[in-house]
Amino acid sequence: MASQGLNYDGCNFFRQRLVLSTLSGKRVKITNIRSKDDNPGLRDFEASFIRLLDKVTNGTRIEINQTGTVLFYQPGLLIGGEVEHDCNTQRSVGFYLEALLMLAPFMKMPLKAVLRGVTNDPTDPSVDQLKYSAVPLMRKFGIDGLELKIVKRGMAPGGGGEVLFTCPVRKTLVSVNLTDPGKIKRIRGIAYSVRVSPQMANRLVDSARGILNKFIPDIYIYTDHMKGDKSGKSPGFGLTLVAETLNGTFLSAEQVSTPQGQGEPVLPEDMGRNCAKHLLEEIYRGGSIDSANQSLALLYMTLRQQDVCKALLGPLSPYTIEMLRHLRDFFQMVFKMEPQKPSDDERKGGDKVMMTCVGAGFTNISKSLK
Amino acid sequence: PDKEENKSNALSKMEDDESAEFCSESEGALRWKEGLQQKASEAFLRQQRSTPNLRKLVYGTVAEDDSDGEDGEELGGLFRVSRPEKGKKHRADGMDCSRFDPDGAHDWELEEMFDSIRDCFVTGKWEDDQ
Repeated sequence: MASQGLNYDGCNFFRQRLVLSTLSGKRVKITNIRSKDDNPGLRDFEASFIRLLDKVTNGTRIEINQTGTVLFYQPGLLIGGEVEHDCNTQRSVGFYLEALLMLAPFMKMPLKAVLRGVTNDPTDPSVDQLKYSAVPLMRKFGIDGLELKIVKRGMAPGGGGEVLFTCPVRKTLVSVNLTDPGKIKRIRGIAYSVRVSPQMANRLVDSARGILNKFIPDIYIYTDHMKGDKSGKSPGFGLTLVAETLNGTFLSAEQVSTPQGQGEPVLPEDMGRNCAKHLLEEIYRGGSIDSANQSLALLYMTLRQQDVCKALLGPLSPYTIEMLRHLRDFFQMVFKMEPQKPSDDERKGGDKVMMTCVGAGFTNISKSLK
Repeated sequence: PDKEENKSNALSKMEDDESAEFCSESEGALRWKEGLQQKASEAFLRQQRSTPNLRKLVYGTVAEDDSDGEDGEELGGLFRVSRPEKGKKHRADGMDCSRFDPDGAHDWELEEMFDSIRDCFVTGKWEDDQ
């Protein structure tokens, strides 16, 4: 393993740093974690995330100082296998799952993870959104046989949800060029409600359809009302929408009700309309990858054989920009970025950017040969 | 090498003669050829100005100002007021979240906005080759 380590300041982009460290084998030291805060050091959800990483790896060395403001992380080998984890409810399962999606194909054994906690909250991408947008994207990179299933739904703040995630291992990722997103052929979605009237989901569907029907007739939004022990500990509802193109690009948007006892309650009608508008904004941004999965796609592009790979993206999100910087730090990967302005007579949304890179020649050394 | 130089000189001379001849023959018709290099560099610079330099934005070094009042806030020459700083530190300890919410710059109540994405759908206009 590479001997050099990297140093960072502050707790932002915590997951990116630890995930890239694990994949590249480079040690990382994060200092000044909330050092000026009234409540300094790592939070519970970050500690929970570290424990999850510890579960899927073997030989990882983690040192945290007494106040929790300094973290030293020396990655071990990605083992995978069957993992169960109670995710801290300060953040939703999406927070943990996003990192797991990045690591899962490069394990020694296929990963079968059971994650418990909050499945949907307004802060992080929900499990539904990842299921509808990240999973099809991973399939494009040759990772078939993925499963992401919501066994129990748990809304913030109580949680009580359960998610099953299985992912096969790959030695290398296949070559893809995501240059042409294609035209949107249909819109799908899921409106869910737990511990509230099932009518909420129908109201969400009606209001969202009201806006989206102006563009395309093929819209189907499933309603999902989980009951009994599958409904978690807190009430709530939400909507995830996804636009699917002819070339298999999935652009997603979502809205989740504010957690019980936090902030103003929202009407399902307003939320449905807002979610539809978010989806339109996502379509306006466009590209072959939606804004929630830009980092995942760029990471996969980096971890490929040494050939050219291209992807058309919409505007880069701040999180993605930081990912690009981290990819340079950990893998010496510098992307070529060409802005593409749409011509005047085209009505295809805003400016795009073509990302090009030559893969780092990464192979999954942990995968056992058969 | 001398021989080659002579040869190339002769060649360039020949070209010069030829081009001079050519120019005199069709005066004005080949004006566009003049200062091609300069024109190209101008066009390049124009493009550079109009498109935001993404490479610089992403990989460029960010000027960090460390002068956000660390010193000069001492109490009695012994204690230092420690408060979470707004700028740089705030970002370093920001929330680790991948969400990229719309900034509200586009009003999706307006018909013009709807028109701006019409062709993203199969119901919109198709290119000739499809």
